[in-house]
Formats: sequence, structure tokens, C-alpha cells
Amino acid sequence: MSTAPNGPPREAAAPQAAAPQAAAPQAGAPQKTDQPEVTQAQTSSKSDAKPKDEKAESSASAKLSGAEIKARAKAEKAARRAQVKASKDGAKGEAAVSSSPTPLGPSASEAKGNKAKGKQDGAAASGATAAGRIATSKGPVPAVITEPKVTIPECFSHLPMAKRIPITQADKDVHPTVLALGQQMATFAIDESIIRLKATLLAFKKVIESYNTPPGNTLARHLTPHVLNPQIDYLTACRPMCFSMGNAIRWLKLQVSKIDPDVPDQEAKKELCVSIDNFIQERISVADLVIAEKATDMIKDGDTILVFGRSNIVERALLHAHCDAGKKFAVTIVDDPYERKGQVLAKKLAAEGIKVTYSGDFGGLRWHAQRATKVLLGAESMFHNGAMYGKSGSCDLAIAAKELGLYIIVLCETINITERVATDSLTYNEIDPERSSAASFRLLYDTTPSAYLSVVVTELGSVQPTSVPDLLRKLEESN
Amino acid sequence: MPKDEEKNSAAPRHLPIRSNPDMENFDIVKTYNRLLADDPELTMPVAAIEALIEALGASSAMTVFETMDLVKTQSEKLRAAFANPVALSHGTNLFQQYLVMSLKQPGEAASNRNFEVVRQHLMRNGRLFAARAKEAREKIASVGRQYIHDNTTILTHGGSRVVGTLLGRAAENLPGDPKRRFKVIYVVNDARRTESNRVVAALRARGVPVATIDDSAVAYCMPKADMVLVGAEAVMADGGVVSRLGTYSIAVLARAHHKDFFVAAEQHKIGKTFPLGQFDAGFEQNLLDFHASKAQEGGGAHEAPAPVADPVDYTPPEYIEAFFADHGVKAPSAIAKEVIDMLF
Repeated sequence: MSTAPNGPPREAAAPQAAAPQAAAPQAGAPQKTDQPEVTQAQTSSKSDAKPKDEKAESSASAKLSGAEIKARAKAEKAARRAQVKASKDGAKGEAAVSSSPTPLGPSASEAKGNKAKGKQDGAAASGATAAGRIATSKGPVPAVITEPKVTIPECFSHLPMAKRIPITQADKDVHPTVLALGQQMATFAIDESIIRLKATLLAFKKVIESYNTPPGNTLARHLTPHVLNPQIDYLTACRPMCFSMGNAIRWLKLQVSKIDPDVPDQEAKKELCVSIDNFIQERISVADLVIAEKATDMIKDGDTILVFGRSNIVERALLHAHCDAGKKFAVTIVDDPYERKGQVLAKKLAAEGIKVTYSGDFGGLRWHAQRATKVLLGAESMFHNGAMYGKSGSCDLAIAAKELGLYIIVLCETINITERVATDSLTYNEIDPERSSAASFRLLYDTTPSAYLSVVVTELGSVQPTSVPDLLRKLEESN
Repeated sequence: MPKDEEKNSAAPRHLPIRSNPDMENFDIVKTYNRLLADDPELTMPVAAIEALIEALGASSAMTVFETMDLVKTQSEKLRAAFANPVALSHGTNLFQQYLVMSLKQPGEAASNRNFEVVRQHLMRNGRLFAARAKEAREKIASVGRQYIHDNTTILTHGGSRVVGTLLGRAAENLPGDPKRRFKVIYVVNDARRTESNRVVAALRARGVPVATIDDSAVAYCMPKADMVLVGAEAVMADGGVVSRLGTYSIAVLARAHHKDFFVAAEQHKIGKTFPLGQFDAGFEQNLLDFHASKAQEGGGAHEAPAPVADPVDYTPPEYIEAFFADHGVKAPSAIAKEVIDMLF
């Protein structure tokens, strides 16, 4: 199920390794302004060879076969246009084709076709400008661009990957706030589904606030295609959208379309902003609070809670149980050896006086699981069949824990529930741009079948994993 | 009107909301106990609902908020008074949900006039809940009858009124549907011998051959049984049941012998408690009391909380074949779905 989450245990007791990374998730990290230019130069030279439209594509092939100059001129024109709309290119997965010329042509255009319905397929797979996630401490280092290119086998070419798009290449319609957000997402400064969702909604609020309906248009008809879509395309190009963002954007578009054309601009904008605020309040802020409380109820005195890495909602739940409810329990953190974010969690919990055991990788998983009583997992998303989409490694942890008869408690906001179904980890996933090399690549997520989960805690209530669709139906009914 | 500052802390401070007006003289716990004692046929959830209706009648709550607040605080009081409040809390939750739903009716939602209608309706039909609950048992009896065939041997235990009714009706002739000829293996609980004797006598009086066995003989006798049928105190959100202590072990043994395990339970026993195993199902029983001999512990009197009088256990849904409920035969997963539909 899960693909290689527990790789070679890096020196078991070397917690300092992740220290610089821990500093990374500070919002508004100074974006490397000089680096994008290099990328731009690179990409633009590529986009000469990779025309944009289908028309241009055919003419390009003509050029390759050595046909008339006319076609070449046409191709160059198309290429220039492609350069201008570089960010859209990224979204449609075409700029990405550049580095690995042979196998990706068809799959890229396929990705374009899929894009309309499946946001996950947005940015086509390829290693083009996969500048890794640079720790902020390293500062702007243009040299990253020269890293070896990742070649993804064609059978995995459906999997998207985050990609740094130089700000200068972004569509001119992209709002500055969204530009900054895109960079943060591409560098994984903002990583978790629910945090990305919140940041996106807040950015879109800014977009709407600065929007004025051009004369002769109505807001309901104009805002989505001409203003929101470029933002969404850009964000998708920076990093494949998560399921919650897809859900929320669908909701937002619906709200926009509902705006009465007779309502004056200011009023309509205000209305939209208020409903975005309410949405954030209901589906994220209050939801997190309720989930933390419900999870607290499941933690008993004397428990040892096993957690995986660092998840925002799990951290909240543990802190709530300890600080507000006064539960006496211990926490064992088994960390993702690639990210080591669990160290941040360990420090936070220890500072509050919770007894913490930390393990830097999966080496002693069984030993730790045997001493634990419950497992708390934060879900990136829940599939319709009750499977959990979580950080790569969650599945291994869940299987090991289930085998020992532990209860595996999944914390998940309902906005993260998707109507898709996944039985394996390869249908929906994302390639880690940083830790992929020419020889191998790493996936960011895995899918845990419902059999290995005991209960899903949402803000609506606690249900069996297989009851997730009922929850979704209930949610639709109440809306 | 008296104001209770403490209890009202949940309400917005600036609103002049009275909490539990006129409730000084009303004791919900006593009412609940009296209802249960008066009518041996009453189940715990229904008794809780009836007690809440009496509380409503005793109060002068006029607004929706006051009423909901009253129901909430009284439910909490009731819950706090018992070591195992799972079943009764299912009743109070159901009642709260019922109130919310009736006030949510489209039209003039939650308006005071509409609310008064609901309130009056409740007062007038207070006994309806109990009557319906008894009807439910008869319905379950006719549903379950289909699953009892001639020459089957049914293993059961406990004093469930639903199971008693079901088996009793199955042994009766109906027009066009002759009585079933079945045998019963009854697992006698030593601590509740009177109850066991009563159930066995009632079955024998209807002409059903009954064999009584000890708890320890269940595994030995299981090969001779064709199905297991038990009652439930409460049905949980995952489709598992909380029932008389010993049900879980019977369920595990039935599974080991590939025998079908059925539960007969009314719909009002369903609630949204989601248990995580035996020790996290919402009740405290103090059944485990570790201690060495007095001499070893320095002579000090060993003090442990006494174990509860009516111990129960939780049977996970994977051991349950199906529920005989008043609205049909349901798989545990269907029960879980129902909980979400009804109570979320």
C-alpha cells in the first residue's frame, strides 16, 4: 500500500538534522527573488521547442520533419505566446514537458484534458523545474536549479508534482497575495491540507475585495472565469490542489454564481467575503475545535498515544486534552524520517509537560506500538470508501497498530472528505519534488484501507470509516 | 422568577434568560427511578424520555431556548447520577433531537407559536412514547418470527423483554402461521437467578423445551445451538451493542463456532455513543480490582469502589449477524447509517 515511507533509518538519534526545516513553515518566508529568473530563462528556452496550442504542436512536428518556414514562424509565435502565459502552461502541464522530451508528450496533453474535472491531475508529472524545498536558512540559492532532473516512469506520469513557477512567469491576472501563496505552497512552507485551504480562502477574499466588475459584465458571470480561474490555475501549477481546496473552490464558485446580477458590486463583494469568513469559521476553525474536544473524550487517563509525524489537528487535540481537560497520558511520536516535523511536536508537547517518546523513523515501530494504547492520525483526506489519504507512512503505522489490537483514531474535518474512491496509493498521490532523483522518486501520501481504522472523528460526529459517505450525504442534506 | 447563576453559565450573559424556572421541587433522578419501578415493561431510554417530559410539565419554560436549556441540564443531571448512563443518554439524546427536529419544521421555524404547539403536543402525548415502545416489541416479535424455524435450537441469556416477547410469540399459533417448534438453551446467570428462573418458567409454560446451562458451559454447548439471540441495553453508533455482562463472550464463542448471532432491539435504543472497546464505551463498572492479601498490603483496609450491580459489556458489530428491530431486520452497518440519519 504505502510506498517506501520507512526508508533507510538515518542515524537513529540525530534529531538536529531537522532543525533548519522546522523553521521553514513560517508564513511569508522570504521568497527567493533572484532564483526565479534563472528558472525563467531556462523554461523560456524550452518553451521555444514546446509550443502551446494543439495547432502549434502540429506545426512543431512539421518543423521537426523539416517542412516550410511558414510553420516555423507560426510555431515561434505560438512559443512566444506560451512564454507570456507561462503559468497557465504550468497548470496545463505543458511547460513541464521540457526536461524529459520523449515519453511525456501524450500524457501531458492528457493531463490537460483531465484537468477540467480532476484538479489532482492538474500539473503533469515531470521533473522540469523541481527546485527542491529549500530551508529558509539557506536563503536564495540559484544553484538549486542545476539539480539532476527527475525522470518519472511513464506508468507514474499521472501523478502530479509541486513546481516552482517564477513570479515573473505567472499570469498577469494573478493577484499578488495568490502569487506569494503559490510560492509558499510550491516550497512546502504551507503544507497541510487544511492550512493550505484556509490560506487559499483568505487569499481569494483579498482577490474578491480588489475586484471590480468591468462595465458591461455581471459579477456572477465574470468573476469566476476571468479572475478566479487564473488564480486557481496558478495555485494548481505551483502545487497540485488538495481535496479540501477542490471542495471549497467548488463551493465558492457556487456562491459566486448565486449572486444576483442586480446587486451592486460593493454589496456582492461584501456578501462573498462574509460567506468566505463564515465558511472558514464553520468548516475549519470551529470544526478543529470540536474535533479536538471529541478526540479529548477518547483519550483516557493512563493512555499512551502513538502519533505519526506532526499534524496540526492531532497537535491541537493532544494539547487540548492535556491543557484544557487535564488528561494524564503519554505520547509516542514516530516520525517521518524524511521530514522530521515530529520534533517540533515533541518540543511543543514536552514544553507543556506531556511525557513524550520520540522515534526518528519506523525502526522501532512495533516496539513503540506495543506500548501504546491508541493511535491518533490526522487525515489529509478521507475517501468515499472509508480509506484514509494520509502522509506517506500512515498506512504502515495503522497496519502495525491494528495488528496489535490498538484503536486507530482518525481526525478529519468534513471539508477534507472527497467523493472519490481509492483502493491503492497510486490513483491519487503526489511526487515529492525534493526527494526524488533520477534513480527513484518518493510519494508524499498513501492510502490506508478502512479495515485498519477504528473511528473517524469529524466535527459532525464520530463514525466508522465506512460511514463516511453517509456523513457526506448528511452534510449535503443540511446545506 | 428565580435565577440560577451557576447553571446558566452556558447562556449568553447579557440575555435575560432564566435557567430552569421553577425546577427546585423537581428531581429528575427520582422521577426516572419511579418510572422504571412502576412499570417493569419500561426500558431505560423510554423512562428517560418520560422523565424529561415530566420535567417539561413541571417547569414554566416558555421559550425555545429555555426549554432546550432545561432539557439539556436535566439530561446532564440524569446522566451524572448513574454509573452506566449509556442507555438513558440514548433516550435523552433522542428526545433532544426530536425537539430540535419538530422546531426545525419549515415555515415559521422556531417561532414561539409553533413551539407552543410542539410543547402542548408533547404534554398531551407523554405516555405515547411508552406505548409505542411496547408496540415496538410486538413488531420485533413478528419480524423475528420469520427467522425461527422448526427444530432450531436457540441459545440465549439475560432477561431481555424483547427476546422474551419474541420467543413467546414464536411459540404461539397465528392464523395461517403455525407455531414454531424450537428448543432453547438458556444460560443461567448466578447473580440473577430469580430473573433467570422467571424467564425459563415463562418459556416452559408456553411449551418450549428449555435446557439451562452455566456460563462456563457455553462453549461446550455451542455446537448444539443453531443461533444465538440476545437483547440489548443500548445500540451504539457503530452497530455494536451494550448488553448484559457475558453477551460479548457468547458472541465471540458463537463466531468461533460459526453460529449466527442476532440481537433484538428497539429503535429507541440506538444512540450516537461511539465506543472504542470495552473500557471506552461510556460506563465505569469497577469490575477489575487488583489487590494482594491484607497482610501483604500492611493491614490497611482495602478500599475499592464497589462493582456496579448490573454489569454490562460491549459487543463489537463484527460479531453481530443482524438486528431484529421494529423497523425491519438490519445489518450493523445499516444501524450505523441510521444513527447518522437520525442523530447527526
